[in-house]
Amino acid sequence: MLATYLQALVSGLAIGGIYALIALSFSITFTTTKTLNFAQGEFIGVGAFLGVTILYALSASGDAGSFAALSPAASGGFSYPVAAAVVGAVLGTLGILLFLAAIRPFAGKPGMSWVMSTIGFGIILQSLGLAVWGPAPVNMPSPFGDDVMRLGGAGVRPQEIVVLTVAVLLMVALDLVMRRTRMGKAMRAVAYSPQVAALMGINVTLVMAGAFALSSALAGIGGVLVAPVASASLFMGMGIALKAFSGAIMGGLDNPRGCIFGGFALGLLEAGVALWQAQWREIAIFALIILVLAIRPNGLFGARTLDKV
Amino acid sequence: MTAMLEVSTASIGYGPIRAVAEASIRVEAGQVVAIVGANGAGKTTLLKSIAGLLPLSSGHIHFEGRDITAMPPHRRVGAGIALSPEGRQVFPDQTVRDNLELGAWSRNLSSSALEDAVEEQFNLFPRLRERQGQMAVTLSGGEQQMLAIARALMSAPRLLLLDEPSLGLAPLVIKEIFAIIRTLRGRGITVLLVEQMANLALGVADRAYVLETGRVTLSGTGAELLLHPQVRAAYLGAGH
Repeated sequence: MLATYLQALVSGLAIGGIYALIALSFSITFTTTKTLNFAQGEFIGVGAFLGVTILYALSASGDAGSFAALSPAASGGFSYPVAAAVVGAVLGTLGILLFLAAIRPFAGKPGMSWVMSTIGFGIILQSLGLAVWGPAPVNMPSPFGDDVMRLGGAGVRPQEIVVLTVAVLLMVALDLVMRRTRMGKAMRAVAYSPQVAALMGINVTLVMAGAFALSSALAGIGGVLVAPVASASLFMGMGIALKAFSGAIMGGLDNPRGCIFGGFALGLLEAGVALWQAQWREIAIFALIILVLAIRPNGLFGARTLDKV
Repeated sequence: MTAMLEVSTASIGYGPIRAVAEASIRVEAGQVVAIVGANGAGKTTLLKSIAGLLPLSSGHIHFEGRDITAMPPHRRVGAGIALSPEGRQVFPDQTVRDNLELGAWSRNLSSSALEDAVEEQFNLFPRLRERQGQMAVTLSGGEQQMLAIARALMSAPRLLLLDEPSLGLAPLVIKEIFAIIRTLRGRGITVLLVEQMANLALGVADRAYVLETGRVTLSGTGAELLLHPQVRAAYLGAGH
């Protein structure tokens, strides 16, 4: 019995880590530009496929298996971290493109055109992905193999530990960057007020583009992290992004640490409810989110804004 | 001789509303110049435009002989113009020191030069030294105003724009702020001051403009305007 709980805890923390990472990526663009990338789900899916493609290219030596079913050797050595880094860089660049094409023309203007333009950007991206890679899900091997490890009686997949570790390391690093470095302080200045930040001599447009690059890179790396747990599909990102967004809203979109908390809470809750009744999972989660927001409209840790009338 | 700052027939509007209409203003190097006028006369709008936060709908702004009308705000800071905005606008969740360091963003200083620049502000505003590790939100209104001015000075501006530095402050603190404005002039920094407290502003100003519903209606030396019957009646109150 204890083993079952432990197993749920580990998988809840692993998926929660992904939710937290993506929730944080939502928070990064929201605080700096007051906009969100609603193509984040597609960015996750494209990140995963790009990762598989890079692993395939790196291991073209023969024993790697086919594209759709890479052998575990393909993720060995430095291949997996290299793939994650390249995906981060490519998706980061894509994020800048998204900012220029779908956000900048509309940001700060009345109306919500950016909602439609980012959704549209995502659909275009997904369609291009389908044209290149096709609709079938593919397998991405974990760098530490897929053999289930025994941890206090519980069966844990190595990739779950990888996901949790990398997600936590990334989030700690980002927290330090935001609080300690010149660049992080400038980003927080822009988050407080783009106008006042500009008065410091900060190039606000550049900081906003950087926020989208960072946010999109996190989505891509998230895709590479989560793909070996499930399987890589161009549609897998939607569900993850929706849960991560819910976690961000629940924790408070304008509070990065709140978003991380919200993501982990959702992951753990999901794993916990699944222990009891898998089909109640989504019902329980979204009922809870609605309840939380009814009581605290800005999320658990969001700033309570008082609108002046 | 060309002035340090020359605003020529500038009009500024928010949508269909014209907040400033064909206003022309000259600021000579080394002077303190005041813009006085009632609430809503367009003073803040004009200052924001000089800092680059609002575009002109017509007219030009020249700074040190260069046309800066289309220059984005962050580049104007590098060019030598700094604005201490209305309502202070310090970064509330960052420390006093971090606020100051952000003010020097455009200068790309080494950490030792940055330390020196912060130290210079601490000498001008000793209270900020005591508070350097505190979040800006915990400062009093007067301290926040000092931080806002010090933060603007961190960019080593040749022209400092001050928007309503007395707003919401106690008389004693206001006196301190105006003493600092005199000190800054002594150091060769040109100051363009927007202020509702006309008597204080005109008292310190070498030159002043009166702005009424977006138009410049009067100009002269600070002393001249202090004695001008129209100014006395409208802004200083009868019997002052």
